[in-house]
Amino acid sequence: MIKNIVEIPSGTMLDVDVCIVGAGAAGIATALSLSGRGLNILLLESGLEHFNQQTQNLYQGSLTDANLHSPPDKYRHRRFGGSTAIWGGRCMPFDPIDFEQRDHIPFSGWPIVYNDLHPYFVLANRFLEAGTYEYDADKVFGAEAKPLFKGFKSDRLFTNNMERFSCPTNVGLRYHRRLQDAKDIQLILGANVTGIRLDANATTVSHLNVASLEQHTFNVKAKKIVLATGGIEVARLLLASNDVCPSGISNKHDVVGRYYQCHIAGNLGKLTIFGNPNSVRHGYEVSPEGIYCRRRLALDAATQRKAKVGNLVARLHFPKIVDPSHKIGVLSGLFLAKNFISYEYGKRLKDGQATLSTYLHHFKNILFDPIDTYLFLYRWLTKRTLAQRKFPSVILNNKNNQFTLEIHSEQIPNPDSRITLITEKDTLGMPKVNIDWRYLPEDIQSVEKTLDVFVEEFQKSGVGVFEFNKAQLEEDLTRFGAYGGHHIGTARMGNDPTTSVVDQHCKVHDLDNLYIASSAVFPTSSQANPTLTIVALSLRLADHLAQTVGAKAQAQHLTI
Amino acid sequence: MMKVLILGATGHVGNRLCKYLSQHKYQVIAASRGRLKTPIHDHIILDTLNFEAMRTALTQVDAVVNCVAGDKYSIGQGAEILANAAKAAGNPMIIHLSTMSVYGGNEGNVTENTPFDPSYGWYAAAKCEAESHMQTYADAGGRVISFRPGCVHGPGSHLWVSRPAQLLKSYRLGDLGDAGDGWSNLVHVDDVVRAIKIGLEISLQPGEHKKYNLAAPDSPRWNQYLFDIASSIGATPIKRISRLQLKLDSKLWSPAIKVCQIVSRKMGLKVSFLPEPLPPSLVKLFDQHIFLNSDEFSKAHLFSYTTYTDSLNDSIQWLKSQL
Ligand SMILES: Cc1cc2nc3c(=O)[nH]c(=O)nc-3n(C[C@H](O)[C@H](O)[C@H](O)COP(=O)(O)OP(=O)(O)OC[C@H]3O[C@@H](n4cnc5c(N)ncnc54)[C@H](O)[C@@H]3O)c2cc1C
Repeated sequence: MIKNIVEIPSGTMLDVDVCIVGAGAAGIATALSLSGRGLNILLLESGLEHFNQQTQNLYQGSLTDANLHSPPDKYRHRRFGGSTAIWGGRCMPFDPIDFEQRDHIPFSGWPIVYNDLHPYFVLANRFLEAGTYEYDADKVFGAEAKPLFKGFKSDRLFTNNMERFSCPTNVGLRYHRRLQDAKDIQLILGANVTGIRLDANATTVSHLNVASLEQHTFNVKAKKIVLATGGIEVARLLLASNDVCPSGISNKHDVVGRYYQCHIAGNLGKLTIFGNPNSVRHGYEVSPEGIYCRRRLALDAATQRKAKVGNLVARLHFPKIVDPSHKIGVLSGLFLAKNFISYEYGKRLKDGQATLSTYLHHFKNILFDPIDTYLFLYRWLTKRTLAQRKFPSVILNNKNNQFTLEIHSEQIPNPDSRITLITEKDTLGMPKVNIDWRYLPEDIQSVEKTLDVFVEEFQKSGVGVFEFNKAQLEEDLTRFGAYGGHHIGTARMGNDPTTSVVDQHCKVHDLDNLYIASSAVFPTSSQANPTLTIVALSLRLADHLAQTVGAKAQAQHLTI
Repeated sequence: MMKVLILGATGHVGNRLCKYLSQHKYQVIAASRGRLKTPIHDHIILDTLNFEAMRTALTQVDAVVNCVAGDKYSIGQGAEILANAAKAAGNPMIIHLSTMSVYGGNEGNVTENTPFDPSYGWYAAAKCEAESHMQTYADAGGRVISFRPGCVHGPGSHLWVSRPAQLLKSYRLGDLGDAGDGWSNLVHVDDVVRAIKIGLEISLQPGEHKKYNLAAPDSPRWNQYLFDIASSIGATPIKRISRLQLKLDSKLWSPAIKVCQIVSRKMGLKVSFLPEPLPPSLVKLFDQHIFLNSDEFSKAHLFSYTTYTDSLNDSIQWLKSQL
């Protein structure tokens, strides 16, 4: 059932079994998985069904360094469906090594292992419409299918590891009907949680405060509460609810908001493959379920341990867009269109100073490369703009076997990289956040050591050459700051309350009924984009909650 | 030995039922409207709209199974004539093959107590009418079991196996997104047949009318079923189909095919060269979140359904044998 907050009389106290705060990927997955098990479920969502600027403004805050991180109200949407309204849909699971305690990565190690999540990854993959849970290209397309590079063999650098793309599915639109029809779910739109109130002993959440932008307010009592408000807003709510515990909820050891991670990313280096462009599998393949898939480069776990590096993936990429010397019409078109592309997708196109002459050169590129440009536009229109399952990204014809690598790397957890509250408040009276994202020299070194292995392995293989400029590496990896949209680690999972906020079941250490479903609980960031793992953890949490409140073990068959 | 008359013996369920009951020590009289391409043992031609003929046939048996399909008259009036003729013939037991369509547009968890919705379409209306005649028969002292199966698939099912397969092959069906989120409520034809045999063995009191839903509880949502068929026949990669495409296909393109089929038939031409129409009712069904709850029968008669995987394999094997 879907309602608007005005349908709940002001001043009411709702009493439910499970209350989930936030209807994005995590909240909707948790609610649907809990459905059909005899529970009374309340899902509170700040936003409405469509984007609303005033609601979005509640996400505003400040930055310590605007060059390193995008403003807090960018790269996330405060609306029904959450940030999946604008996400890119790239899916891949965390690797088994990501859960391990690795001596060369300080503060690494999860209290759970990959296998604990495996069954939920299978369901999460379906939930996000990314098809069958199989990420080995050799298994999806057969070992005989054309590899990334013909003749490339290495036992350290692998190319059969792949990513899959969701539609990208906006979970709000996709599961609207199911939420609407579920008799045991009450979804309330326009409902902002503004406070988590504890009992006097600070052992239990007694109730939540809920308010609309129009100051319509009510409270909620629940046996179990799940915060699914995204990686930044989880920390904000915990820190701001400081009436009983002055440092905020579950923050005795000053961990909430710290260890904030995104990903280290950049487009760099030069990979030249010898021979015919045909020897490279560049771009997307489509799996039997109709899913766009893409092969990537990654080191195996043993090599990562031996080289003492973090997890990283690399994709084949095209040259820097801004520099017109690439002479590629499509790229010049993208450059010229950058001001019409949303902040989130345009950001990495806005690189450095462009003079009038840069613009003229880009025009020239289009004029001299018309056929590819038109073909590209046609494909973009039919396979992306008009398609329901969207072609994931710009892929250019490979004309000369020269690529750059698009790097997406784990970042080392750092307690000084953090989210804090500032005195300024939003219209609901909630203190705003400041984001102080930081990276460490070791983060850059880790990428460097990994790329050194790339260099060696290409050399050994004889199929090509990879080069990169070490002096410029840090600049290349931080030019656009933290990779946007991945908000990790602010309420991390662990067994030790001095370095973590939630336990292995995502329950806040100090309280008996407050849980977190979000990338906020990831202790480390992996090479992977976070959403598939967020959903898998949420589905696991739903099973755990059902068990602890004595509800049915199995969701009604295939609720997800 | 129990003597059973099977009406609609050449249909999908009727045909398999005849064989099954014959193998299980029933004396079967198989009845259908027309002549047979392949002969069945003990077959008679019987017009179910002819009261006298029906009465005569019914006096010779202990029970009758009504598997008649067809237009609204053969379903609705046929059931009325069946009820009256059975009464006149000494009240044999009736097993009536109804359908989940009697629940029309209902959604959610649908049990035998969910109210009927005859307003949903001509088929739902006819099937509701048929069940009401069965009720009249019971009220007058007859014994009836009405089975309400979901989508009967398995070997021989054009509707739920070869039809979707053809539509998938031409990429007119595929991944339907939220438009394919309804439960498939599939039931293997042999499970229906087994349920009917169990029904024949239940001893009812005069005046009793039992109603049972039949659907395998592990039936997936339509998207999953469509993908499973597509992948087994190599109609992959499947395409994401938009609601708009489904609408254009079922409301514009398919009616045109339908017209061609009718004209071709009138002209005595084969219609197999024409593409498969995608009826709007099917598009609606894919989008209908109805979960046909079949616990009542399973619990009362310790009945276990063929698993989804096994049913699918059977369907696919049959499909491949047709190619
Ligand atoms: C441009 C962009 C591209 C991306 N691409 C990818 C990608 O390719 N792959 C990938 O894995 N991830 C990607 N992401 C990240 C992905 O969108 C997030 O990981 C995912 O949406 C997180 O899900 P969530 O449920 O934790 O948070 P959200 O989806 O952000 O949902 C949080 C919900 O909580 C609500 N909420 C917040 N505060 C309150 C409150 N106080 N009270 C009530 N409700 C509240 C919000 O309105 C929102 O609906 C991308 C993100 C962006 C912005």
